[in-house]
Parts: sequence; C-alpha cells; structure tokens
Amino acid sequence: MSSPVLPLTWHLTKSSGRRGLQSHLLAAGAAAVGAFVMLVIVAATLGAGTRADHTKWRTPDAVPAKQATAVQALATTYVRHEPVTVVSLAQLPDREQTPAPPGLNSFPKQGEVYVSPALADLLRELPVNQLADRLPKVKSYGTIGTAGLAAPDELVAIVGRTPNAPAVSKAAGDTSSWFDFGQTERAKISGFTGDTPSMFTSGDQGIAVMGVILLAMPVVVLSAAAGRLGAARREQRLAALRLAGATPRQIIAMTALEATALGAVGALTGALAYVVLLPALAQVPFGVGTWYVDTLWVGLPWLATVVVAVTALITVSAVSMLRQVANSPLGVAQQADPRRTRMIRLAFFAASLAVIFLFSGGGLEAKQAVALLLLFYGAFWLFGPWVVDRLGRLVSRFAKRPATLLAGRRLSDDPRGAWRTVSGLVLAGFAAGFFSVSMLGTDTSQYRGQIAVSTANASEARHAATEARTLLSRAGVTATVTTGRADVYDNLLSGGPGVIAHVEGGQEQLDTAVTALTPLGDGRFPYGQDYAGGSDKAAFDRLDAVAFGTLALSFLVAAASAGLTAAANVLDRRRVYGLLRLAGTPLKVLDRARVRETVIPLVVLAGGTTAMGAYGSYQLNKAAGATINTSGAIELVVCVVIGAVAMFAAISGSRPLLRKVTADPAQTAD
Amino acid sequence: MSTVLAGYGLVKKYGPTTALAGVDVEVRERDSLAIMGPSGSGKSTLLHTLAGIIRPNEGQVLLRGERVDNLGENRLSALRRKRFGFVFQFGQLLPELPAEENVALPLMLEGTPRRQAVDRARRWFAPLGLEGLEQRRPGQLSGGQAQRVAIARALVAEPDVVFADEPTGALDQRTSEEVIRLLTSVTRASGAALVMVTHDADVAAHCDRILQVRDGRISNYSQFTVA
Repeated sequence: MSSPVLPLTWHLTKSSGRRGLQSHLLAAGAAAVGAFVMLVIVAATLGAGTRADHTKWRTPDAVPAKQATAVQALATTYVRHEPVTVVSLAQLPDREQTPAPPGLNSFPKQGEVYVSPALADLLRELPVNQLADRLPKVKSYGTIGTAGLAAPDELVAIVGRTPNAPAVSKAAGDTSSWFDFGQTERAKISGFTGDTPSMFTSGDQGIAVMGVILLAMPVVVLSAAAGRLGAARREQRLAALRLAGATPRQIIAMTALEATALGAVGALTGALAYVVLLPALAQVPFGVGTWYVDTLWVGLPWLATVVVAVTALITVSAVSMLRQVANSPLGVAQQADPRRTRMIRLAFFAASLAVIFLFSGGGLEAKQAVALLLLFYGAFWLFGPWVVDRLGRLVSRFAKRPATLLAGRRLSDDPRGAWRTVSGLVLAGFAAGFFSVSMLGTDTSQYRGQIAVSTANASEARHAATEARTLLSRAGVTATVTTGRADVYDNLLSGGPGVIAHVEGGQEQLDTAVTALTPLGDGRFPYGQDYAGGSDKAAFDRLDAVAFGTLALSFLVAAASAGLTAAANVLDRRRVYGLLRLAGTPLKVLDRARVRETVIPLVVLAGGTTAMGAYGSYQLNKAAGATINTSGAIELVVCVVIGAVAMFAAISGSRPLLRKVTADPAQTAD
Repeated sequence: MSTVLAGYGLVKKYGPTTALAGVDVEVRERDSLAIMGPSGSGKSTLLHTLAGIIRPNEGQVLLRGERVDNLGENRLSALRRKRFGFVFQFGQLLPELPAEENVALPLMLEGTPRRQAVDRARRWFAPLGLEGLEQRRPGQLSGGQAQRVAIARALVAEPDVVFADEPTGALDQRTSEEVIRLLTSVTRASGAALVMVTHDADVAAHCDRILQVRDGRISNYSQFTVA
C-alpha cells in the first residue's frame, strides 16, 4: 500500500486557506532571500578569486637568464587617483618566441601598445598631456581581451619594447622604496604562468570570505525564521491529525515534506533571482571595479549546494519546532518556564576574550586568526542571549508603560529568540563599525601636491631638476622643483636622490605634471601621493566595501528575519492579541510592545557593538597616530540609520496582519 | 436596583443569517444573568452586542441610560477597557507576565502608575484564593487558578459589568464549580453586574436569572433566588 503522506500533505497544503497561503508565501520568500544572499556572497568570493587569477600573468615566475625568452616589467601610474597598470614586454633576441600574454593574440612587438577598454575610454576622454603622453605614441591602440583583465573597469596597458628600453631595464624594476611593493616588478620570463596576483586583487577573496562568515549566521537565522512560520497552524494540525489517528512519524514526515517543498520553491526562486540579476549585480563595484558577468556566475554545483542547504535549514527548523510540540504540546503553547540563561555564558565569553587577547599579539597565521575570529564569534553567539535576558529584566524592572513592560518580559521570556533576530546585525555592526572608521596604515597626507622622480644619484638629480622646470613650464604647470637630500625623509624620495615637484593646483595639474615628467623617469613613472599610499588604499577600500556590503546585506537579511518573526509572532499569538483587544486594549499598545521587543535589543546590542567597533578602531588609530576615516564614519551612521529604519519598516509591515487578526475579536475569541 | 445595562430590539445579521432577531434584555446592578442556548442560537452574539464588541443592525444598547452602540471604535474600545471586565474560556492571559502584572494590566493601560497598579492588583489575590501565586506565570498555574487570575483582571478596574464567555468551558466539574462560585460572589461583592454565556445548566444555576436563546430570540426566562 502506498504511503498516504504525500497526497495528504498536498491536499492539506492546497486547502490551508488564505492564512496558510500567506504563511507559505512568507516562508518561500524568506528562503528566496536567504538563497539569494548566500549566492551573492559565494559569487563575490569565487569571483574575487577568479579576478585575482586573471592578474597573475602580470607578475609571471622569473626564470634563469639562460631560459628566459623575454623581459617583463610591471609599473603603476595613477591618473585621477586610479591606478593604471603598465606591463612592458620585450622579446629577447635569438630566443624562442615567447607565448602571447592572456588577452592578446600574440606577444607584442616593439612599439605596439594594447590597452584595456576602460583605459581606451579614459585616453579618449582626458587631454593627451594628462595621460596619453605617458605611453609611447602610436597610431592606434590594440585592445586587451577579457582573459587578461580582472574587471571591465581595470586600467591596463601592455607595451611592446626593445630589450634595451629603459622601461624594462633593471633600474625600472628597482623596488628599493617601501611603496614600490606590488606596484613595480621586473623579471626575465619564458611565459606568463605565475602565482602572484596583482596587489589590487590579492586581498579581495580573503575579505569576501570575511563577509561570508559575517553573513552566514543571519542567513541561517532567516531560514530558521522561515521554518518557524506557520508553527501555530502546524500545531493545530498535529492535534487534529493525532486525534484522527496519524502517527507522530507521519506528522513529522508531512511537515518535513511541506517545509522542503516550500523551502525548495523559495530557494529556487532566490537562485533564479540571482541568475536574472547577474548583469545588475555585475555593476556593483568592488575592488577593481565592476564585474564581468561570467566572473560572478557560481556554476551549477554551487547553485545546487546553496538551494539544498537553504532548503535543508528550513526543513530542519520546521521539524525541530514540531518535535518540541510533539514532545510537550502544552509546554510550547503555554511555555511554563521562562527560558533563562545562565551565568556560565558570561564566564565563557570572558574566558574566550582572555584567550583572544592572549594570542592576538601579532605574527598570527591566517588560520590562527580565523580560529580566533571563530572563537570570538562563537563566544559572542553564546553571550548574546545572556545579555538579552539581563536587558529584558532591566527593562521590565524599570518599565512604566504597559508596552515597555510587555517587551521587557518577552525579552527575558525568550532571550534566545530575541537574540536570533538581531544577532546578525550585532556581529556585522561590530565589524562594520571597526572597518568603517579604520585608516590604519601609513599616513601619506604629507605628500599631497608632490610628484617625485627618482634618479641614480645626486648629480643626475640636479640635472633632472633643471629639465623638470622646463618640462613643467612647457606643460603649463606651476610648481616648485627641489632635489632630494639624504637627510630629508619627509618627502616622497625618503632621503633618496631625485627630484620633487611641489605642484600648485588640483588633480588635473598633478596628472599633467606626472605626464610631463615621465621622460625624466628613465623607464619609471614619476609618482605622487597615490602611489605611496596605493597598497594601504587598496586594502582600506576593500575593507570599507566589505564592511558596508556586509552591513547592507545584514540589514536586508535581518529586516527580512525581523519582519518574518514579527509576522509569525502575530499569527502564533493571535488568540491572546484578539482577546486583549476585545477587552479594550488599544491596538497601538500591542503594536508598540512587539516593535519594542525587537527595537530595544537592536538599539542596545547592535548599536552598542557598532559603536564599540568604531570606538575600538578610533583608539587603535589614535595609538598608531593615524587619521580617522571621517567619511567612513558618516557612511556608517547613514547606513545604520537607513538599516534601522528598514528593520522598523519590516516589523511594522506586520501591523496590518495584527489589525486583521484582531479586527473581529468576536470571531477570534471563538 | 437600577438598570445598569440594557439592550432593546437588538437585531444582528450576518449576510442572510439572522443571529439576533429583536432581543430585549435588561441587567440591573449586582445582577447576574446567564445566557444559554444551543450552538448557533445567538447567545455569544448577544453577549458581544451588549459588550460593544459588535454593533447591532437594529436596536440600542444603553449603559446607565446612555446609548453606547453608536460610539466610534476608539470610544467603544475605551468603554470596554474602563467600564467592562471580560473573562473568557482560556488563553486570555499574557504568558510572559506574572499573574499580578496580568491583573494590573487594565489599570496600567489607563495610566495608573505601575507600582500602584500592581498594589491594587494584589488586593484581589486573597479573595480569589490566589495568595502566594502573584509571581507565577500563566503557564505555571492550573486551569482553575488561571481563570481566577482572569476574574481578578476583569474586576480590577472596578467595572460596571463583567462579561464571561464560557468561563468554565475548559475546566473539570469540581474546578468549574469553584470558579463559578467565586466569579458570581466576588463580582456581586464588587458591585458589578455579571453577564455570562454558558451551555452548562449547573453553571447557569449560580446566576440570578437565565435567558434561553434560540434562533436569535429569547425563548425562555427564569429567575432564581440565590442564597
């Protein structure tokens, strides 16, 4: 005899009425958001890796001189604060032909210049004396294909040279300055295989992984909230079906089947949204700019994994909820005892913090740092409900109005539930708070307005200074030109020989000066503040992006979770709400109570940890003598305010539902 | 004793179904009135109409001589909060509040300071045999205890009328007897009138009068003299 579970589940799902349909839609919607967010962060992580791989050819593995077929030199120059990567390539005579670099059909001949599409646009857009004159003059530029580029916005040039050209000379590859790291390289090569990605892409994947860690828990919470939806309806069904003779196993199977179907439909919808929105997602800049669409495509195995994972989470959540009901139906309905938290949570958190402080002295390997991060995360996860519990008790103790009293009692009644709703934001808030104001690194502001050209020695510097004055004057740039001194370190030459031009005017004048002074560089580009701070800026920009990306996505997920939980609570508690309203309790009191139930821990915990992160970063910056990223701090405040409003709106979104379920108290009471 | 609550010519229709077909009823001070009848007879509709929960299509509801069925929703809600008390079958207590705060809630909703509200609420625990249970939450109370807490909550704001809808429907016979005796006696002692819907004749027998409702009309009227 075939099992009646499947047809009965289908029949009950079909005939669950409008309220059942609402629950189904909300649950599927939550699964969709969860799957979508997961896919986006997986795509960003994998895509960041792919991008980095696409830049490895620019610093290929060096080979012994005898095996070398070409000389390659990497240089970086800045225009409008954006880095332009220039790869100079020279085929060595009487050696095997070097294969073509990625993005080109053949190894570039001397005098050929290939540029990325974005650089081609910029070359057309800017006056030649601001950018084009830094590159060899050609009739037309070739185009670098996508295989050689990390992103559509990347500014890259490949220049074919002769082996004795200054741009591929040893001097051009000199990396004696600390800020040359990752921006200037030179090697003898026989091909373009290498393991070192560009400085501008190398940290992206690690930072994206951090985003994954921060966002994983909110997505789990959202999925669990989706599974919780309709718990009250299932509870009624359990009672009715048990009376009709169904076994607990059959009921659990039906619940699992229904939750799996809803989860799968939702997760597939989220996956579909991800696929459809891929072109739009690719327009979101991160690191080196916007994305190639195929870079963000995670592939079918990942797509399937995320859909299955989200579906499984929802199913497990729904079944575990039902198991509690099955084990003790009255216990769940009435919840005899408050779910108190123990002091051991505080003790564990304190011990974990001690361990973290003890081992975070420095010189940590990445794995150790991740382990400590996970320890902090886990400890905080255990500590959160304890704080919510105490917060609830505190609020109840001092509450003067019924809505606040109700909210406080609800918090201490189920601190884990309240914590789950806000936990993602609390943790993301801490990270965002920290990274948004952090500007640790070298302060390069004292180099503002300077353009430097290194020379081999002091006498060359004196000669170069005279020439620099002529070149700058001819370019229409007003500047004071000095030579570097061995005892002066507070300029871009840091005591080395060379010329410093103190340029008057804005960025256009600086870009013009760099272009004008390029012939003096003996194969190296003149450089300014952007070059000196390039490495730090690359790291900060990404941390900044991931901090706000994480915070924004956390808010999206948290708002969805809060909205769902609020809706589920209204449905679960519709009888008591209905009866209270019938007895004359104003709707706004009930509404305020349930809003405060989320807003109080959100403001105290998420606001507290965000401020704590920002304060910690501020102190760290102060101690290191670094400036504070004020624009980051302002962005953080704006983001937090918008996010908090979104969460408030999500919770308020269930107000019509509350009004509806209490609108006809006579019906509800019966 | 003067009439505290009255309904005259009450008609209530739900689409083609007539739930009340012209009912007249008067409730005097300290009076206790049981409304009985089979399922679908209109007894709950009558209680809800008298309590200002639903509006009649025809007829009037008067509280101490003032018409209340035509008040706006907010004023009706305030009326229910201030002048009426309610006891239902089950599920009316907020599970996260201790018993004393559940009882104090109507006072707090009216703006009474919390400490004062809780103090006033506590005074109801002894007469209802609830001493020592002030800090218990509804889930930690038996069914009978929970109903007595609900009675305290209905009476704490010193209402004119207490409405009870199957207040013993979820209780065993012995507890039911105990709860109904307390409900009638304490309500009478407080000076409020009691209007109660029940299907249990033993429960109804504790009231001064019984109204039998059938097909939306009063089919029978009995009066007892309660000792």
